[in-house]
Amino acid sequence: MDIHEYQAKQILRQYGIPSPEFLVISSSDDIDSVIDNSPWDQAVVKIQVHAGGRGKGGGVKVARNRQEIKKAAKELLGMKFVNKQTGPQGMIANQILLTPLVEVKREFYLGAVIDRNNAQAMLIFSPEGGMDIEEVAEKHPQKILKIPITDRGSVRGYNLLRILDFMSWTGKQAEQGKKLSLALAKAFVETDASLIEINPLVETTQGDLIALDAKISIDDNALYRQKQIGDFYDPSQLPDAEVQAKAYDLAYIALQGNIGCMVNGAGLAMATMDIIQLAGGKPANFLDVGGGASREKVAAGFKIILSDPHVKAVLINIFGGIMNCETLAAGIISAAGELKVNVPLVVRMEGTHVEQGKKMLAKSGLGITIAASLEEAAEKVVTAAKGRK
Amino acid sequence: MAILVNKATKVITQGITGKAGSFHTEQCMAYGSRFVGGVTPGKGGQSVFHLPIFNTVAEAKEATHCDATMIFVPAPYAAEAILEAEEAGIPLIVCITEGIPVRDMLEVSKVMKNSATSRLIGPNCPGIITPGECKIGIMPGYIHHPGSVGIVSRSGTLTYEAVWQTTQLGLGQSTCIGIGGDPLNGTNFIDVLELFEKDPRTTSILLIGEIGGEAEEQAAEWIKNHCSKPVAAFIAGTTAPAGRRMGHAGAIISGNKGTAQGKIEALEAAGVVVARSPANMGVAIQKAMK
Repeated sequence: MDIHEYQAKQILRQYGIPSPEFLVISSSDDIDSVIDNSPWDQAVVKIQVHAGGRGKGGGVKVARNRQEIKKAAKELLGMKFVNKQTGPQGMIANQILLTPLVEVKREFYLGAVIDRNNAQAMLIFSPEGGMDIEEVAEKHPQKILKIPITDRGSVRGYNLLRILDFMSWTGKQAEQGKKLSLALAKAFVETDASLIEINPLVETTQGDLIALDAKISIDDNALYRQKQIGDFYDPSQLPDAEVQAKAYDLAYIALQGNIGCMVNGAGLAMATMDIIQLAGGKPANFLDVGGGASREKVAAGFKIILSDPHVKAVLINIFGGIMNCETLAAGIISAAGELKVNVPLVVRMEGTHVEQGKKMLAKSGLGITIAASLEEAAEKVVTAAKGRK
Repeated sequence: MAILVNKATKVITQGITGKAGSFHTEQCMAYGSRFVGGVTPGKGGQSVFHLPIFNTVAEAKEATHCDATMIFVPAPYAAEAILEAEEAGIPLIVCITEGIPVRDMLEVSKVMKNSATSRLIGPNCPGIITPGECKIGIMPGYIHHPGSVGIVSRSGTLTYEAVWQTTQLGLGQSTCIGIGGDPLNGTNFIDVLELFEKDPRTTSILLIGEIGGEAEEQAAEWIKNHCSKPVAAFIAGTTAPAGRRMGHAGAIISGNKGTAQGKIEALEAAGVVVARSPANMGVAIQKAMK
């Protein structure tokens, strides 16, 4: 789960990672009073959305007097931010952050992530801050330092020395750099983060190290024990269909095609999208209804798929296995009937009592097409979708 | 032969009195697996399906001399259940539970890597089956048939699809293992490939991967250098969009690896027959055997 920059900064402050003062504005009614009462005559105004690239995309403005700050705030609050990371539907900035201008001497990159290959949490350092870190890693791998985080959420002494040397932090900065590294390691482990990025971490003209930006993603599986962070869940940053899917514990991702898919299991769902494409069609979504594919989940799946107006046909592919196909068929029939599904429906299923299940579907009067195999299902649904253009 | 499990394998279930744990224990027993007990803290001394229940894995191990455990413990406690099984020295730990926090799995991964006694399969996996002999997991038994294809997969239901195809072609399976879909798992592709390579009953291998990570690339490298048996593969997610990335830092570790195309190319370069359609996984293994 992603959280906003200001929330990430709050969390990092609890661990002793400093960032400039900030104010958050959530309502346009508050803009004038908040800015009039703020101590700053110059400020940076930043949209709060769950996406990077805000600076390049016009979501960050520097204002040199209070009038300008107000103007920037009015422009940015409520802005629909669209870039590669947000997808075509964009993300709305329901909040903006106001923060004083900081005079910057140098910019660094600080991050924490899990190295899956070595089952190891790592800190990542680079003296090239404010840049696309992927690009730095590719073009100048020598400018990236990776340091393991210990099981207790700390950094070993000799590794701290390596960090200071690599980042050229001396004197006051060496002390601050050590503290920051230890704090970041602790924060990463204690918050069950899957990613923390401070980009940039800056050296101010006074020689202090502070976090100008912050990004934290939390392991969804650990939210049950991260209540404070769980409260930061912001459904406004996700497409409506994905919010609905989440509520039913379904995994859904909207795509650009016109064939809705409902499949049990992520691997089979991806394979189903692949075979639709091979048959000449385009999937409208990825939807995993889970191993069980209960009636409730099938019904929720239908609702979500059909909320996409581009969907011209739906393919249900359930490898039920242990699940009884009669139960599954009953679920599909009742959900499809109740929701008045008015696009062609192709069903492929396997499991115990598959023949009885198919008979039930055939007799349902809902015009359900039954496919005997994965390949046949893909061909039939692609043909059905083409017939409705 | 086959690998890891056979009709002599004695199995317990951790979380045997939970809904999923009891349902699947019963299913596995109906298939013919030799279950000898179960563990649910606080219910020691009771019994279910005529199997004795123990409070701890150590007690269960001492009383039953079990070779394997099937874990259905809920995610918040599952990592501890794995560690308990390892400490009790159970040779094969199969964790079906999904949704275990990564931080918990970091500790489990370290322990399992250094374990002198135990191997972990999963978590978040369908389990392991040697058709006609022993099923430890949630896969439907009837789609399997004893035979010669060794199947290893990161997926659940997609594995069933592959199994079904090889059964319908009359090939059957030696052993099928779902290694699980989580980023951190106990047994990886290469571990299973090594076992299949040494197993006389397995005459060909079907590997089912998906986008993300670089496990398939590493498997391809191993196959090129060490595998004497024909291998076929399918990689799910060729048409999946790059998707919203959580950020950049993850990619620093994995570089440009992780795409379906990259995995397919790596596998083909290692001499693996890669099915482009999930409908052709069975056909691909036939082709590889020619």
